[in-house]
Amino acid sequence: MKEELNIGFIGNPNCGKTTLFNAYTGAKLKVANWPGVTVEKKEGAMKYHEHLFKLVDLPGIYSLTSYTMEEKVSRNYILSDDVDVIIDVVDASALERNLYLTLQLIELGKPVVLALNMMDIVEERGMEIDMHRLPEMLGIPAIGVSARKKTGLEILMHAASHHKDHSTPDNLVHQHKSDKESKHVHNHHEEYAMVYSDLIEDKIDLIIEELQTHYPHLTNFRWHAIKLLEMDPEIMEKYPINRPDIIDRSYEKDIINQKYDFIEEIIEEVVVNKSKQVATTDKIDNLLTHRFLGLPIFLGIMAIVFFLTFTVGDYLKGYLEILLEWISGGATAGLEAVGAHPMLISLIVDGIIAGVGGILTFLPNIFILFLALAFLEDSGYMSRVAYVMDGIMGKIGLSGRAFIPMLLGFGCTVPAVMASRTLENRRDRLKTMLVTPFMSCSARLPIYVLFSEMFFKEHAMLVAYSMYVIGIVVAILVAFIMSRVEQVGSENSLLIELPEYKAPNARSIAIYVWEKIRDYLTKAGTTIFIASVIMWMISNIGPTGFVTDMSESFAASIGKVLVPIFTPIGLGHWQIVVALISGIAAKEIVVASCGVLYGIGNINSEQGMSDIVTLLAATGFGAVNAYALMVFCLLYVPCAATIATIKKESDSRKYTLCAVAFQLGVAWLMAFLVYQVGRLL
Amino acid sequence: MRLSEGISGHIYKVIGIQVEENIERRLSALGLISGTHITLLNKKRKGAVIFSVRGTRFAIGKHIADGILVEVTV
Repeated sequence: MKEELNIGFIGNPNCGKTTLFNAYTGAKLKVANWPGVTVEKKEGAMKYHEHLFKLVDLPGIYSLTSYTMEEKVSRNYILSDDVDVIIDVVDASALERNLYLTLQLIELGKPVVLALNMMDIVEERGMEIDMHRLPEMLGIPAIGVSARKKTGLEILMHAASHHKDHSTPDNLVHQHKSDKESKHVHNHHEEYAMVYSDLIEDKIDLIIEELQTHYPHLTNFRWHAIKLLEMDPEIMEKYPINRPDIIDRSYEKDIINQKYDFIEEIIEEVVVNKSKQVATTDKIDNLLTHRFLGLPIFLGIMAIVFFLTFTVGDYLKGYLEILLEWISGGATAGLEAVGAHPMLISLIVDGIIAGVGGILTFLPNIFILFLALAFLEDSGYMSRVAYVMDGIMGKIGLSGRAFIPMLLGFGCTVPAVMASRTLENRRDRLKTMLVTPFMSCSARLPIYVLFSEMFFKEHAMLVAYSMYVIGIVVAILVAFIMSRVEQVGSENSLLIELPEYKAPNARSIAIYVWEKIRDYLTKAGTTIFIASVIMWMISNIGPTGFVTDMSESFAASIGKVLVPIFTPIGLGHWQIVVALISGIAAKEIVVASCGVLYGIGNINSEQGMSDIVTLLAATGFGAVNAYALMVFCLLYVPCAATIATIKKESDSRKYTLCAVAFQLGVAWLMAFLVYQVGRLL
Repeated sequence: MRLSEGISGHIYKVIGIQVEENIERRLSALGLISGTHITLLNKKRKGAVIFSVRGTRFAIGKHIADGILVEVTV
């Protein structure tokens, strides 16, 4: 018989859940957000004999309360009818920590199978887990697996498919040690793995009676009763009962304590040789998180990452540029040969290939940067960076964790803004999203290279570097001023797990990098494609139709309207204005647009540069104007893809508009200062 | 004493938690409650610390480290 089974994967952060999930599904994932929230939802499918299994990867969480978005999403999904079996992935080498979530899951009353992951590490350390006793104490099957070594995968799915109808526990053989004097009317030990003290069990019985009278259709009375005793806000609102005599206070802490007491009993009976500690991670941490050496080591690692990104990346990028020229030349020749209309040729070659292709040439840089970042993340180092940077970030009112997105901002602002979702509170997320675009991304580099070479000659490199510094200073200054205005600095405290260091897993890294590259390609194929077409259209079509003189195009009309705004910052030329507008699609386009709008074929060549300098000099555009232009490019609205990402992550149109307006304002103000002060010198 | 005043390498017993409710909830979900033993692994001058609780390492900022009250175990 063919059957379809929905399996939810749940577990603590860093328990290897995603590695296990990937081992089953491969890279064929559907990644989306859970409805209405920015919590990622990963879905995959696999064939098991003739059955179809649909797998859902839930967010990594420590508990199932309703205080964070991730926990709420997971809990509601498990309670829904969309899931048949839950695979609870635990790190077998850190069982004590992981079993807390397990006990909460079992209480939810859905079929649960325990996957004891990292069994290879358990063996390496000489630990042993009594696989017979553990299921007896928990009442659910426990399967030893290793996601990295791909062992036990088949048997885990076998257990899941056979366990799907077991919503009541298997044979439980256990009595709490403290239960000898229990006076509670029921002995629950044969029904439930987790049995509480008499005080709590008495109250649970009373609440269940109330719930049965008022909400007879509920499926799991015990769980709802426990949640009411914990005063869980979501359950209190959905199923209120008016018995202040029973629920005289929140029993949450008692319930947590008793769960951990039970876990201690389990560990005592099940784990053998647990005292054997691994010192490797502690030894590495002594160096990497050292109070004086930690920061220099981090800076050194980043220097290597950027060196690889820019030198190796640019080297490969050169080849892609040659390929692009070849494609563009070939397309022109081919289209001319078939007698295509010049307007169509122009659209395809100058619009689409130049626009989309120009972005694709940055693929090697992006690839190497993400490879390095995946390496840092998978090895466990990223969370240490948050600790190392916590003191410095604290001064500008953010937690050390907020440094990770800012760091990613040097590569590409889009994934950097996305990375801000790992921050706990919304205010920190919004603040980080606001300042991250000031970190100069790789797309802005072509602008600095071109204009500093044209106007600053031998000081070109210094001028380009100064842009990075200005970006960092503005980001820090903005965050600092905001923290002063807000006057609340207590909530941004760091709390982050530091996983054991491990050799990065090739498969996990490949999937991580592929996801980012795919996003980037999608962006090039959609947003940038459309923007390129629009840019081409407005600069080639005017009120009189298809124009040969660009100064009669719609682009020129728009540019001329905005010239008065840009004159005080030294950029009062319609061509520059239009180039800056086109840069909203993607910052690299500013360079290409300047070439097109000033009618210079190869703007990067020496002849092209001297031509444009002469042209600009005739209109009074000099070094100070060029510097103001670079500063403006550094700070003004990030590209369209970033704006879309900010909208997606903040889920607020108003915030997005404010952020864009703010960045435009900062850019204008800074460029104004540069131009007005520079003119006096 | 506060955890932020502890010495690296020492084991402490938690005797009280004085932080905002939401942070306290997250700590208790991690099994950090009164009576739990924790090992201080690393400390920065400013008071941020790394400690291990129930077999897992965590880094916390000064604010939380100040709010965890501990006593020396024998």
